[in-house]
Amino acid sequence: MTEPSAARHSEAVEAVEVARTGRWPKETIVSLAAFFVLWHLASMMLPPFVAPSWARIGQSLADILARPEFIAVTVARVAAALLVSFVLGMTLAMAMYRWNAVERYLMPFVKLLMAVPVLCWILFAVLWFRNREVRIAFILVVVCAPIFVIDLLDGMHGVSKDLRDMVRALRPSARQFFAKLILPATVPAILTSWKVNLSLAIRVVTMAELVGATSGIGYALLMANETFSVAEVFAWTVVLVVILMLANIAVTRLERRLLVWRE
Amino acid sequence: MSDDIHVRALRKVFRQKGSGVPVVAIDRLDFTVRRGEVVAIVGKTGCGKSTFFNILIGLEKPTEGAIEIDGRTPYGDFDHFRGRIGIVFQQDRLLPWRSLLDNVTLGLEVIGLPPAEQRSRAERWLHRLGLDGFLRAYPGELSGGMRQRAALARAFAVNPSILLADEAFGHLDEVTARQIRGQFFEMVRSEGKTAILVTHQLEEAIDTADRLLVFGRPARLLADVGVTAWPPAEVPALRTRVQDVIETNQPDPAIAAKEPS
Repeated sequence: MTEPSAARHSEAVEAVEVARTGRWPKETIVSLAAFFVLWHLASMMLPPFVAPSWARIGQSLADILARPEFIAVTVARVAAALLVSFVLGMTLAMAMYRWNAVERYLMPFVKLLMAVPVLCWILFAVLWFRNREVRIAFILVVVCAPIFVIDLLDGMHGVSKDLRDMVRALRPSARQFFAKLILPATVPAILTSWKVNLSLAIRVVTMAELVGATSGIGYALLMANETFSVAEVFAWTVVLVVILMLANIAVTRLERRLLVWRE
Repeated sequence: MSDDIHVRALRKVFRQKGSGVPVVAIDRLDFTVRRGEVVAIVGKTGCGKSTFFNILIGLEKPTEGAIEIDGRTPYGDFDHFRGRIGIVFQQDRLLPWRSLLDNVTLGLEVIGLPPAEQRSRAERWLHRLGLDGFLRAYPGELSGGMRQRAALARAFAVNPSILLADEAFGHLDEVTARQIRGQFFEMVRSEGKTAILVTHQLEEAIDTADRLLVFGRPARLLADVGVTAWPPAEVPALRTRVQDVIETNQPDPAIAAKEPS
């Protein structure tokens, strides 16, 4: 197992545990508590612009939560972009599964898109688009849609030959074949891809909002940085982590519901 | 519609993926299966039985020759044979995300029956196979025997005129296999279906079929035996003779001589 996938696996295991029991695993509580104590000690020894106290961070968090518009803006951008990316990714994956030639011609292009660093996409977006929302949406979609394409196509190709032959022997239409076999068989891959893309989109949207946006968490982080407010930077980071964790828990709960047959 | 299955000069040659070397899976097959007959195809492993089966269910096309039912080919007339051929595979091949009930309705959804009719038919067949208490169970929760019975229900529920079984009971333990095989043939005969059973188990074939088609390797007809023409006392001798035919890969005219007209 490669490192990123191991990390994803451990995140998924933890999210499953939280979703199942509604409580954090003991190890997570211990490590978070240790971090809390160490940070507290550091804040007593270091100046506040390096390690602000929990009280300052708490105050910043309270200020942020009193005006949640920026959180809502970022969440809305991520949700909309992921939905567009998913629909686009699913459509392309279906076309590539259905027609070999489409896969042969399109796959190199999808891989090319995936190879471009996020920073380059941000620069291209700034150069190509004047509208800020279009820029952010473009960056998110161009980063997330190829991952949906690859994951969903892999899921579709992974349907066993035995099951494909069984369903084909019933002589379904192409639409029935897809709706009754390929799509339901791909649900685990769809959910895994959503988890991966949620995490990626939260990170990418923050970077995209750093450049040229006038709202959202990335913009707020930039403002906090310019005013040397480490407590606020830290508080926004906590907000981002919590958003990601909540989103992962939601997907994991959906997964348990949709994949109940695997238990 | 006669529903007779005519196999005419059937030949299938594959090309090996790496080398492109041709491999003959079916050398030549000529025979007819009449409506309502229960036929067992026997032969060594790798003798082309499953290739023949795949052509018959429309998953593959022959290289030469044809299989015709009502003057149409099952691999050419895709829509015409929808709901007319029921299949039981070696493994149950149930969809793991569907309950037993939904697995049985699968074929009925494909032929476009109304949902209420789908459900009542599926329930009827699951009841007939002793699975009433498991309508909402997922395949992963059940034993191999129960899953295979659900696969039988799926095959019968579409009310096909032809039923095909490819080594359908070979992977089950002997007691369960005997039980499910018995249910299969009881239903085939009571519903007046044509059935073709592909098996490498000679005992199973002689016990259950009206007629044996013995395939050589590559597939060609070594013997076409009307089992019912053999008096029960002579069945052990028949078994030995068929075994010899399979072992030697040579036809035995003496067995064919007993074939009923």
